[in-house]
Amino acid sequence: MRTRFLEVDTSKGYLLLLGLLGALLAAGLGAAWIMEHHGHHVTGMDNQIVWGLPHVFAVFLIVAASGALNVASIGSVFGKMPYKPLARLSGLLAIALLAGGLMILVLDLGRPDRLIVAMTTYNFKSIFAWNIFLYNGFFLIVAAYLWTLMDRTVSEHAGRVGLFAFVWRLILTTGTGSIFGFLIAREAYDAAIMAPLFIALSLVYGKAIFILVATGLFRGTGRELDTSLLSRLRVLLGTFIAAALLLTAAQHLTNLYAAEHLAAEMLILRDGGSITQAFWIGQILLGSLLPMWLLLNPAFRGNCGALLAACVLVILGGLATMYVTIIGGQSVPLELFPGMEISSSFFDGEVIHYAPSLPELGLGLGGGALALLVVLVGVRVLPFLPDALPSSAAADD
Amino acid sequence: MTRYVMVADLERCVGCQTCTAACKHTNATAPGVQWRRVLDMEVGEFPDVRRAFVPVGCMHCADPPCMHVCPSTATGQRADGLVTIDYDLCIGCGYCAVACPYQARYMVEQPGQAYREGRMRSETQRENPGRLGVAQKCTFCSDRIDYGEQHGLTPGVDPEATPACVNACIASALQFGDIEDPDSNVSQLLAAHKHFRMHEELGTDPGFYYLWEDR
Repeated sequence: MRTRFLEVDTSKGYLLLLGLLGALLAAGLGAAWIMEHHGHHVTGMDNQIVWGLPHVFAVFLIVAASGALNVASIGSVFGKMPYKPLARLSGLLAIALLAGGLMILVLDLGRPDRLIVAMTTYNFKSIFAWNIFLYNGFFLIVAAYLWTLMDRTVSEHAGRVGLFAFVWRLILTTGTGSIFGFLIAREAYDAAIMAPLFIALSLVYGKAIFILVATGLFRGTGRELDTSLLSRLRVLLGTFIAAALLLTAAQHLTNLYAAEHLAAEMLILRDGGSITQAFWIGQILLGSLLPMWLLLNPAFRGNCGALLAACVLVILGGLATMYVTIIGGQSVPLELFPGMEISSSFFDGEVIHYAPSLPELGLGLGGGALALLVVLVGVRVLPFLPDALPSSAAADD
Repeated sequence: MTRYVMVADLERCVGCQTCTAACKHTNATAPGVQWRRVLDMEVGEFPDVRRAFVPVGCMHCADPPCMHVCPSTATGQRADGLVTIDYDLCIGCGYCAVACPYQARYMVEQPGQAYREGRMRSETQRENPGRLGVAQKCTFCSDRIDYGEQHGLTPGVDPEATPACVNACIASALQFGDIEDPDSNVSQLLAAHKHFRMHEELGTDPGFYYLWEDR
């Protein structure tokens, strides 16, 4: 059966959602303006916590962008034909999530007006500079991939471009993880495992967001969706969560083994207050164990509600993971003189306490809203979405 | 080749923080920012416990992590070893602040104001908008060094060519000079005394030495 792709109609619900997301985006831009006008001192960030809540949202969205392309890769690279009709949406969502993440990142810079400097003056020793290339390249490659998927005259290249996009996104997430992995100064980072961990996390977050967005779009536009197709992603998503959990365990156990990282680990695992709670309750319980139970328990097989609940939990857990990684990692006092107790008039030797502010939350949510707006506008103006995905189309797995 | 370094004699430092005050006065840094700060540490085990005061700041590393992570080449290094920041190129991403093992970098987002009632005239007059929203740190008073070199003076010997914190130190605990010159004050101090540097294990080759005698 041939799949037809159609733009979505401008229904009342569509416009309502558009308005809601537009308002959230406006709030995010307003928050960025407040931070730019008054300076970051109106936020919870300071000279110890340089990267605050906006970075939590930004890195989460950027990591998820890479993983959102996974469904397209399953079709193009791994030859699972039933997923091909969803490849266009997968590519669009990947671009949208990256755009949302980068909006936050750029607006959270100390000097966002110098974006052109960042785009034209590169230090090729900096992994951060490499990431600028990787992000821009991701936009171009996924756009080219979408072109091969949507234009019959170039569709013969879809496999090759899809493979290139698949490799590129692995490199992209490696680059994002390496931003933290290369930080030798910070006990909580400084580990090669950050790169594979981020790859695993990207597969988890991207897939969870894709399932939610696809389900929402199909149901919202009254299109038939074979939920068994999405349900097949259950086991894959559950496996990726288990892989991320394993790498997380390896990260923390390795740090616990090394005496120099013990203080940082104790802060995150036991003594960190909100950071410890975010780790155990957010990242491990709600973000990993509970979704795994919902996804892998045979009792919930075919239960769409359980699948969607697991995806929501994965997203909340993902934000908690980024909070622990970014805020927790910076909260650990720098070991200026190992083995010595240090104090000064500049908070040296003290655990840093960070309280996120409303503008930071606003900017973070604004980035998420931009990502969803791009998807919403995209499916309205271009045929990204199949008019139906009945079970017969999904029969050939 | 010249490489300027600083030497702090921990046997002499009394923790008065005059260096901190002199630095703030000279460089007009904002409240809460200390390019030169002094750590208060306890050394030894009871009953043989001593307090040690350790001046810290940018170490002007030979292999600086802050420079390697800077995406826009704003952080650079001069031929004389000084690590610099081009405020016009810095985008304020904060990566250097997170990457520095010495907590030596600061992000300042608003002009300094020591008192709630309003900004003092000196604060208004010495405001430097170019330093807002970007990373900043100790410069080893590079402007004084440059001035001195242009006028035939010797940094570390002539006060006009020497960092303000060194000039201000009441116990001559801080010294400055060219470590590549065997006759310089810093080379002679390092040759005659035991010394160490912060986080030598990281391989950053810091340009800040501490004299310390085991007792």
